[in-house]
Amino acid sequence: MTYVVNRLLSVILTLFLITLVTFAVTNILPGDVAMMIMGTQSNEAALEGLRQSLGLNDPLIVQYGRWIGGLLTGDLGNSLIFKKPIAELLVQKAVASAIIVVMSMTIALALAVPLGVWAAVHRDKWQDTVSSSASLMGVSLPDFFWGIVMILVFARWLVWFPSSGIVEPSEDFLGALRYAFLPSLALGLGLMAHLTRMTRSTMTGILGQEFICVARAKGLTERTVIWRYALGNAIGPVITIAGLQIGYLFGSIIVMESLFGYTGMGWLTYQALLNRDLPLIQATVVVIAAVVMITNLLVDLLYVLIDPRVKLG
Amino acid sequence: MKRFKTTKGLIGIFLLTIIALVAILGPMILPPDAATKMDMLARRSPPNWNHLLGTDQLGRDMLARVILGARTSLEIAVSAVLMSIVLGLPLGLVSGYSGGWNDNVLMRLVDTLLAFPALLLALTISAVLGPNVQNTIIAIGVAFTPYLARIIRGEALKVAQMPYVEAARASGTTDGMIMLRHVLPNILPAVIVQATISLAFAILAEAGLSFLGLGTQPPAASWGLMIQASRDQLDVAPWTALVPGAAVALTVLGLNMFGDVLRDILDPKSK
Repeated sequence: MTYVVNRLLSVILTLFLITLVTFAVTNILPGDVAMMIMGTQSNEAALEGLRQSLGLNDPLIVQYGRWIGGLLTGDLGNSLIFKKPIAELLVQKAVASAIIVVMSMTIALALAVPLGVWAAVHRDKWQDTVSSSASLMGVSLPDFFWGIVMILVFARWLVWFPSSGIVEPSEDFLGALRYAFLPSLALGLGLMAHLTRMTRSTMTGILGQEFICVARAKGLTERTVIWRYALGNAIGPVITIAGLQIGYLFGSIIVMESLFGYTGMGWLTYQALLNRDLPLIQATVVVIAAVVMITNLLVDLLYVLIDPRVKLG
Repeated sequence: MKRFKTTKGLIGIFLLTIIALVAILGPMILPPDAATKMDMLARRSPPNWNHLLGTDQLGRDMLARVILGARTSLEIAVSAVLMSIVLGLPLGLVSGYSGGWNDNVLMRLVDTLLAFPALLLALTISAVLGPNVQNTIIAIGVAFTPYLARIIRGEALKVAQMPYVEAARASGTTDGMIMLRHVLPNILPAVIVQATISLAFAILAEAGLSFLGLGTQPPAASWGLMIQASRDQLDVAPWTALVPGAAVALTVLGLNMFGDVLRDILDPKSK
């Protein structure tokens, strides 16, 4: 119980620091927000008016206080480019991105675990070389390159999936999955490479341990030994790495959603950055960092459920 | 597997040597306007004898552009990684060696930064500072710092507990001297390995930033920019995406292969 309380306290502290870092990065770095919004050619009077109305002339600590107050009450202000409340935009886009995140992680794990196990079982043979080379190749290509290849193959040549756009899951769930599939596949392939390497190295370590020898000596089938005994022990570290990849994934969805014109959180973040929509930049950055941190916490807790040797407290 | 490892290392070194040579010598050999000269009669022409890797939508030679892009991409990646070492090394070293409150405060900060996806942090910094080559370097450098600091801290923590550090402390050596003379040399292998891997990620990050228009700006040639430009003409001119894509892939592949082997040599425990 102490563990959970400690973790929760540290989550709150980190959340606070996340807001501080976001605010610092977007405010203290050189660059005039009013000029970002209106462009370098605008006249001084108009700039001053905008600064006044945005409260940019107040001391930073006051601005930060105002912003935090808004965050806590769910009032994130209005987006400058979309002219809509940011909270509303975030809720709407978060669902679309959640589909992509879950789908790409599922694809990555579904491919990486068997491939990693296969490589570890046939360690130092051609199967291992194939799997290692494939995953090395996978980590070496930028994922947006995979995205371009996917568009070319599945959308242009085979015409199986749409190359861009989005469907609201509330209107047509299967349609939404269809639109999310290609970006998820492209993201999943990049992730898969990392996870395959991790599965292989963890499995290799475990297959060399004594209890595996004992299990084989007891006459258990190779299938039980590998999939139940060995993988059961290897899956924990793999899940941890998968959890850590969530951060990487949230960076990549910015590129991927923009490439596929998939209007989720990543696309929203990109629009905010591109148009220097400061309130929207701050909101999306804070939300993404918070989601990444909380996911990592959940993965830690999940680990405890999967691996009985890890005890809380 | 042993042979595979050696071959892998050799391929890695071979790829990196070629790419470094191209990036350094290429711009000297090419005529100054090679990458910007537009051949309007040969727009989007597939690879041929005049243009070995074809031309892009403005009739610019892809080979010349990919060579000049190598220089931009490598310059940015190397500078960014150096910057993250300059920032992350003291952070990690002090944190890991001194422990206690220093460590707590510094690592809390690093953990917070780690919650921001590196690419998001880099994009945000670049957008706030205004996208150009120098700011791309700063953006990637800062975004990579927490990763480096974390790894260096872990290594420093291990080394700080070694008997020889204790002996140095017992003989009255100052903490600063111990960090410089005893801890630093012993964590260098880990730093070098991490730097190689970071370099691979920095190449990918630069490509990503430029691809999104928040990194290198046109008309400069960078691999990410070239891939971005290819987006709208994939069906008619797939080579405009494949050429810079292959350049990124070969470089990162070389760095990853070299990094894997380097880790086995410099850091045998992690095998």
